Amino acid sequence: MGLDRRGFITFLVGGAAGTLFTPVPWKLLDDVSIWSQNWPWIPKLKYGAKGVTPTTCKLCPAGCGLDINTVGKRPVTAEGNFSHPLSQGGICPLGAAAVQLLYSPARVKGPLKNNGGKFESISWDEAKKILAEKLSTQKGSGNVALISGDENGTANEVLAAFLAALGSSDYYFMPSDATAYATAWNKIMGGQGQIGFDLENSDYVLMLGADLLSSWGTVVRNQKAFGQKKGQYIYVGPVQTGSASVADKWVPVLPGKESVFALGLAYYILKAGKTCSAKGFAEFKEYVLTNYTPSKVQALTGVPANDIKKIAAELIAARRPVVVSGSDFGQGSGSLDMVAGIFLNLLLGRLNQPGGLVALPSVQAVDKAPDLNQLRQNSLINFISDVQKGAKRPDVLFIYEANPLYALPQGAQVASVLDKIPFKVSFSTFLDETAAKADLVLPTPHFLERLDDAYTPFGAGAVTYSVSTPVIKPVFDAKPTPDFILELAGALGVDLGISSFEDVLSAKAEKLGADWEELQGGQAYVGDKKVFQSALALPTQILSGGLKMPSSEYPIYLAPVARPYIGNTKLATPPFGVVTIRENELKGKDFYVHLNKATAKKLGLKQDKKVKLVSAAGQCKALVNITETVMNDVVAAPLGFGHTAWDDFSKGKGDNVFNVLTVTQEKPTGLYVWNNSQVKVVKA
Amino acid sequence: MQVKEFKVKWGMVVDLDKCTGCGACMVACQAENNIAPVTEGSNKLRTLTWMLVYELSNGKDFPEHDIAYLPRPCMQCGKPSCSTVCPVVATTKDEEGGIVSQIYPRCIGCRYCMAACPYHARYFNWFDPVWPEGMDKTLNISTSVRPRGVVEKCTFCHHRFAAAKEKARMEGRDPMHLEEEDYIPACVEVCPTGAIVFGDLNNPEHKVAKLAKSRYAFRLLERLGTDPQVYYMSKREWVRRQGDNYLENEKTKGE
Repeated sequence: MGLDRRGFITFLVGGAAGTLFTPVPWKLLDDVSIWSQNWPWIPKLKYGAKGVTPTTCKLCPAGCGLDINTVGKRPVTAEGNFSHPLSQGGICPLGAAAVQLLYSPARVKGPLKNNGGKFESISWDEAKKILAEKLSTQKGSGNVALISGDENGTANEVLAAFLAALGSSDYYFMPSDATAYATAWNKIMGGQGQIGFDLENSDYVLMLGADLLSSWGTVVRNQKAFGQKKGQYIYVGPVQTGSASVADKWVPVLPGKESVFALGLAYYILKAGKTCSAKGFAEFKEYVLTNYTPSKVQALTGVPANDIKKIAAELIAARRPVVVSGSDFGQGSGSLDMVAGIFLNLLLGRLNQPGGLVALPSVQAVDKAPDLNQLRQNSLINFISDVQKGAKRPDVLFIYEANPLYALPQGAQVASVLDKIPFKVSFSTFLDETAAKADLVLPTPHFLERLDDAYTPFGAGAVTYSVSTPVIKPVFDAKPTPDFILELAGALGVDLGISSFEDVLSAKAEKLGADWEELQGGQAYVGDKKVFQSALALPTQILSGGLKMPSSEYPIYLAPVARPYIGNTKLATPPFGVVTIRENELKGKDFYVHLNKATAKKLGLKQDKKVKLVSAAGQCKALVNITETVMNDVVAAPLGFGHTAWDDFSKGKGDNVFNVLTVTQEKPTGLYVWNNSQVKVVKA
Repeated sequence: MQVKEFKVKWGMVVDLDKCTGCGACMVACQAENNIAPVTEGSNKLRTLTWMLVYELSNGKDFPEHDIAYLPRPCMQCGKPSCSTVCPVVATTKDEEGGIVSQIYPRCIGCRYCMAACPYHARYFNWFDPVWPEGMDKTLNISTSVRPRGVVEKCTFCHHRFAAAKEKARMEGRDPMHLEEEDYIPACVEVCPTGAIVFGDLNNPEHKVAKLAKSRYAFRLLERLGTDPQVYYMSKREWVRRQGDNYLENEKTKGE
């Protein structure tokens, strides 16, 4: 019997159909799809025993307690520590990306020496030798200065003690609202202790500029307090930020004019007969009542007088109101902003009350260190301008965990001033803009690799102390800066009265009455002490500053916006933060600045058009995004873009708004202010 | 369409009046689920984000303008559009708990499910994942790494569900009666304002069961009939109105 065509086709079709009833093709398909996804270049999971190590985050000053999940003793992911008062299980986008930053391509892998623009690797001993030589000639001459970007760590005490031993008092913190409050409260008003806000127990939180729920102070703890909210949250500021988006009310006020708004509130509250016992009250009251009249305040802030009156009435009616004043982007405020905010709290009788403004004691462990609160009053911008004028000539500049070349106003000026300082040493975990220009880069470990601490992060409502314990050995050749400084002090024959950094921290714990073992185990110490105030004074002379008329040459107000996921003053966008950047924030290499329809129309600008923001200090390039989240005559611009160092995750994206921020001097305090910069927006 | 009913139905209620758009949920999700970092992130057609925070606007001019943020995971629909179109049964909804599964080794990358999903919750791996040198040491061992050519999506951190059930069994408890705190996805755990609440929608003791019935609760495109297990809530009428396609004169849900 031969095979005819019909039979052959029947056999083929039948065979094909028949195989479908066997498991063979399905098994093969399954295998193919598994093995075609199993390539050697796809990273393999590295198995190991799971664990959890608690520590304290040092990526920003908020001091959140973290739980680090580990696998085979390697940190893997970060979560908030539920028992820590400043995180309560919550976390910010930077903290969530903290573990992966251990392996950031931008990390400094070992000590580096700048040899005519090119970095070469050196050993820690060589680094110590170079520095010991440099400093032995400086000893006693005071020509060494330090910039610290660590707002609340005890490392500052070690560094400040070392600087003091070398005869220098040029210790500067990177400017923030913490330093602005230290100046306004401690220096100008004669207050004692560190200002904080008991948000948890407040039933009416008035945020004057301070972007409490987005970027300001102890941000995660603020958000937690809001999440369990007991009352109203009102946001006053030029942009609908994260805080404004969830607040019960948004009151648009021109950038830097929140102080005027506050005094406008004070007008009504004073009229209602409220008073306080601070020295100079009568004079202060008189000035406010005559100069901050509703019509004037309305003209200066753009807020209708009736709205101001209403909020004043709400403040008076609230049982436990608190007023939190600060800069919209966490820095650049003068003393007027802070004094105006504090004054409202005083009028409402909220000082050291539950749910009010609190003054918290400080504790120092290094006897030979100057008072840190005193050091916070040193103005870095003053120092920069002194160096520029030639009034100060530091030979050596130490930069600890800070990136002044990127994150100070008037970037061009800062760059030229740093160029004048012959020898710069950067103690940085990452090769940031400042480290890239330093003569020595001595990497400090990532906070997951080192012992560190955070004492009462600025804004916290109670004394809070917690410790960062090393979760992993340094993955690169990094050395904790306080340890290195102690070695250096030894080499120079300087006695700081300290045997080790760990001893300093445990001494601090002891002074507080906290248990060192428990702290190392991730438990935070919380104290209920508050500082009684005896000699508060109200400085009437600063009040004239708020009445200053705006510049007409630069008609648009600049409102910088801080968004932690883009980065902060010491950290560029982390690898895991990149996808959180929105389409209306960045497009290719250009970032967006935001204006509303009315402002755009006035300036003849259209969506996605290229523009330049030009100020007296400098300029930056951007694209236009038209959004009604910004008030009239204001351009909002995100901070955190325009990095020139770091890695592919942040470098060359957008432009740096810090370069456009213009400093002006507040009269009569002489303080530098840059939360009210004005610009021209021109087509590029 | 056949609908499988579950005794346990994990669900989420997101209070949009509490979300500040901080992005912590997105970052925590990436780390938890081994999503490779990318250098270009603002072009959302190219990024891979199981959890994505959208910005909502009430469309009014300043000063009447209002803004809200909406975190969008996979809706874990009761009647998923994605699983019905999958030719290779790589995505199903058949496990007790009501989570829509995604089985990577089965996925052939046809992307029918992406076309079918009305929520844009599914993502395709256009490229092989690349971690910077050394960063692969931070891979979470509970989640596999997906290669190029595979679709993926939020799984409500299903591995955490598996671990919670295992733990319950070890402790002699009923794995089908987990407590709220036994099983929490990464995004919910880290949310600093507590905007996201998670639990069993069928368990009256869980907060979500009550919140989902709130007058202010709604689901995205509810009237498509996908029956999502992710609920949103907002006291703001304009926010709720954006959750669905309303006719001009139609009343918003909750009004």
